[in-house]
Amino acid sequence: MTTTTVPTATRPGLRSWLVLMVSDMKMVSRDTAGLVIPIGLPMLILVMNGASAGTERLPNGLTVFDIYVLPLVLVMVVGTIGVINMPSFLSYYRRSGILKRLGVTPASPAMVLVAQVVVSFLQTLIGLALAIGVSMVAFSASLPLSLWTALGCFALACLAMYSVGMLVAAVSPTPNSSVAIGLILFFLLGALGGMFGGNEMLPDAVARVGEMLPFGAAVQALSAAWAGETPQLSHIIALVATTVISGAISAKFFRWE
Amino acid sequence: MPAIEVTQLHKRYRDTIAVDDVSLTVESGEVMGVLGRNGAGKTTTVETIAGIRRPDRGEVRVMGLHPIRQRRELRQVLGVQIQSAYLHGALTVRELVHLYRTFYPNPVDGAELIESVGLTDQRNQRFEKLSGGQQQRLSVALALVGNPQVVILDELTNGLDPEARRKIWALVERLRDRGVTILLVSHLMEEVERLCDRVALIDAGRVIAMDTPTGLIKQAGLTETVTFRAEAFDPSVFDRVAVINDVEVRGNQVTVAGAGDLLQAVSTALVTHGVIATETRLRQPTLDDAFLTLTGYTFTDSTEGSQ
Repeated sequence: MTTTTVPTATRPGLRSWLVLMVSDMKMVSRDTAGLVIPIGLPMLILVMNGASAGTERLPNGLTVFDIYVLPLVLVMVVGTIGVINMPSFLSYYRRSGILKRLGVTPASPAMVLVAQVVVSFLQTLIGLALAIGVSMVAFSASLPLSLWTALGCFALACLAMYSVGMLVAAVSPTPNSSVAIGLILFFLLGALGGMFGGNEMLPDAVARVGEMLPFGAAVQALSAAWAGETPQLSHIIALVATTVISGAISAKFFRWE
Repeated sequence: MPAIEVTQLHKRYRDTIAVDDVSLTVESGEVMGVLGRNGAGKTTTVETIAGIRRPDRGEVRVMGLHPIRQRRELRQVLGVQIQSAYLHGALTVRELVHLYRTFYPNPVDGAELIESVGLTDQRNQRFEKLSGGQQQRLSVALALVGNPQVVILDELTNGLDPEARRKIWALVERLRDRGVTILLVSHLMEEVERLCDRVALIDAGRVIAMDTPTGLIKQAGLTETVTFRAEAFDPSVFDRVAVINDVEVRGNQVTVAGAGDLLQAVSTALVTHGVIATETRLRQPTLDDAFLTLTGYTFTDSTEGSQ
């Protein structure tokens, strides 16, 4: 102990990342109230939308519900959890001082952020699996015609939404403002992306911009995959670009308190 | 190379100057106390040393490392216990120690660490269910989990009962014996006198004195006093005694102030004059008295609001 060797910058290993993820998972699963949004919300949005959507079959055997409602609902769910729910969870960590304490350990901001995203994503998956199961039974929904493309688009949509959420958490000055900024941003992206009645109702130029933002791009890409078509490259690029840019900015501006 | 080197640190929050001009050096293996009233700038100083805050001016080096630019290297060797931190509330003591152990390349044994802060019986309890004192002890334990060479402890025995406090002191003494450098912010004079090799006294964002605990008392120029009871005492008994500066007689209670070997001088004079004295007591000035003299504030009064 008395030797004063110059310390080297060893990073915490993979095991440390896993233990942190498991810890965050325990935090969530031991707090039942925290499970309401990821598990309950998809169900609620689905039932509300499913009840009003038509069930007549299109030529490819799918329904309007499958092609328009289901992709929209999935993106709404990911958007809500990623852009609104996660920043508020992170701001709880920040406000309570958990982040401050982690900040004086060798744990990196990336570890904390990735653990949050993974745990949040797992909850989302459980919630969505339940929601899709219910809609297949109650609204005779079909699985996407291009299942793997749909899964890929969904994963991209998740990454994009979570990185936007991280950005919100990173740049908002106070915990309360992060919830407010998240809400505004979510509705803005949603409105431009066709959350309120399809983007055909928007002026052409606005709709074009909306399609290039993460919400609109995700809905379009998922919808295409459901119908068995290849998603447009521009939508995929929009999602990847959102992830990279927001992710980089949020890591740069991350604060421990 | 000193373990901690702070040069002309300055930090302000909006229009409040938290730290005006603080310089201090802590040698390797030394236990340095940081004393001061609330708002004197102690916590800002140690949080800047820990790399939590960025100073407006001045330089900080810990084991030769820049706390912000070389954050990753520093985190390997520096253990920090901060006041306003909280832990994952739903995790148990054992789970938290396990989590924090994985952050470090060379951690200490988890079960031994939990035992050393007396939490073995609570190891399966959630953090949020622990009492304030138990949470505090876990927080101290986690500062030591990575086998650090330098430890910062901010109010480490805050909210602890006397028994738990002694246990934590013993833990700090074991660290000191192993050669770990410790920077200890404290409110408790007893704690500082027992644990610290040197003390930095901070007031209004400046170091106003830095010395050993006994050195600080000397600096304050305080004298020892001897008190005793004697019937119809005549103060002229002490007329020719060189070390005595002042004699005060109040009824049969006599107080003699002076420096040097006061007790010996008083006893000799009393015996020579055949005075029968009872309840003879020597009162040496404490760090508390020195604090009062050096800052103009009573230490105990100034800290009451925060407890």
